[in-house]
Amino acid sequence: YCCLISSMQSGYSLPTSVVAAPTTTNPQCGSLRRGFHCAVLRLQDESKSDKPPSSTSSSTTYHEHYQAHSAEQDAAASASDPAFYKIYQDQSGEQDEEYETEEQLQARILTAALEFVPLHGWSMEAIAAGAESLGLSSASTGMFEKGSGDLVLHFIAQCNAQLTEILAEQHNQVQLGQAEPKKTADFIRDAVETRLRMYIPYIEIWPQAMSLLLLPHNIPDSLKHLSTLMDDIWYYAGDRSTDMNWYTKRAALTGIYNTTELVMIQDSSPDFQDTWTFLDNRIQDVVNMATTAKQVQSTGEAVVQGLMGAAVTVSLLSYIHHLNSLFS
Amino acid sequence: MQTAALRVFCHWSQSNSTAMIRQCLKCRALTLQQSSRAYGVIPPPRDSEEKEMVHRMLRVDHAGEYGANRIYAGQMAVLGRSKTGPFIQEMWDQEKKHLEKFNEILAENRVRPTALLPFWNIAGFVLGASSALLGKEGAMACTVAVEESITEHYNNQIRTLMEKDPERYTELLQVIKEFRDDEMEHHDTGLEHDAENVPGYWLLKNAIQLGCKAAIYISQRI
Repeated sequence: YCCLISSMQSGYSLPTSVVAAPTTTNPQCGSLRRGFHCAVLRLQDESKSDKPPSSTSSSTTYHEHYQAHSAEQDAAASASDPAFYKIYQDQSGEQDEEYETEEQLQARILTAALEFVPLHGWSMEAIAAGAESLGLSSASTGMFEKGSGDLVLHFIAQCNAQLTEILAEQHNQVQLGQAEPKKTADFIRDAVETRLRMYIPYIEIWPQAMSLLLLPHNIPDSLKHLSTLMDDIWYYAGDRSTDMNWYTKRAALTGIYNTTELVMIQDSSPDFQDTWTFLDNRIQDVVNMATTAKQVQSTGEAVVQGLMGAAVTVSLLSYIHHLNSLFS
Repeated sequence: MQTAALRVFCHWSQSNSTAMIRQCLKCRALTLQQSSRAYGVIPPPRDSEEKEMVHRMLRVDHAGEYGANRIYAGQMAVLGRSKTGPFIQEMWDQEKKHLEKFNEILAENRVRPTALLPFWNIAGFVLGASSALLGKEGAMACTVAVEESITEHYNNQIRTLMEKDPERYTELLQVIKEFRDDEMEHHDTGLEHDAENVPGYWLLKNAIQLGCKAAIYISQRI
């Protein structure tokens, strides 16, 4: 199907002889070719029409069509084949207004599904409702292998991206001299509060989300998101350490963030005031610990100096005494 | 500097048409990219695979320089007041400069340092001190072994980068080549100062080099 792809690249002007498929004995390739062939003809029809198809409708009709086709095909050669989409994505370049990748489609469905989460919880029903609200078949939930975990992870990734944007904007403002740089503790406090406030619309059902994230197949991704979040917050707080502090700072912040999240889900005070107070206290604890550690270190150094001085003094005195006893 | 000026200009003209803002943003992005190319040693990574590869290289290089630092510190602790002291001090100062450079690069590119740093701290110091306890020749033999390992490691990295895309990694290649030349100089200094006269030179050298290979392997991953 390479010749089909290259002809796609040349601006959708498809000669009818494109049907001459390459000879191959690979059955997977053959069934893909069938689907591709139909898709190619469909796009050919669309490009011949006078009215340019709007991007969303053409992509959805394309996908509906393709999904209908994939129902007949082998699961291996179905729409979840990443290699197929990757070829398409690599070579369509600027011409991909009519086409989107599978990841983009999944992202759109999950974003739409977030509206239905207060109603259905973090579940496949919410994803199905989201898909339907976009005009897609609710069978497209089959795309999500991790099920409702995918929805939660998508929401978390979205929140992280929003936070990074806000922090980058603040960083820019400070660089431009339009804002004063905050103290580290205040910066961390504001960053964590901003991030946790994004959960407020879903706070009733957030415990369900947290339990979903603890499922074994979701743990790697959720840990990855958490570590990226912590790294981002510290980076924008100005941390540039390249020693063990890199690890201790992030570990400390992870502790603060997770415990504050747990407090938040069972907090019933107005505007979650108790949670923010708890957050303040935890940050203060860490700051105190760091200060104490520094103090202990400098005290220790002073003590060692003192001891060495004392040892030198004692040895000098005993030497003088020895000399005295020799000469008297 | 020019990026800051450009940003101010962009903010100024925010009241104007969106086309101008779009243009401004485009040239700001371009300038940012160019400036990070001009002032930074690493090009902005194209995909996560490249980022992983470059970060791994920087991580192990940073760990290596940190370890070398500690080895010289151990040697100075024992031989600091002897007549080889000044030579070891000179090599140590060069290693400190290398470490500083890598600290800079790591901070700039948000590379995670290796988690084994405390371990390399102690292991390096112990290696330096114990080889110095064997006398000046022992310390020099340790230097020869370690510098040879590090030179080979840097050469491997240079080869990898040259195979991938020498133009893209010009600055990084320059830094690594410069450091590799410094390490070779240390190796030669060690040989000049009777490294080979230590009893059990072959055994000592190979044992240390094996340790270095293991350290490099681990630090690339953890």
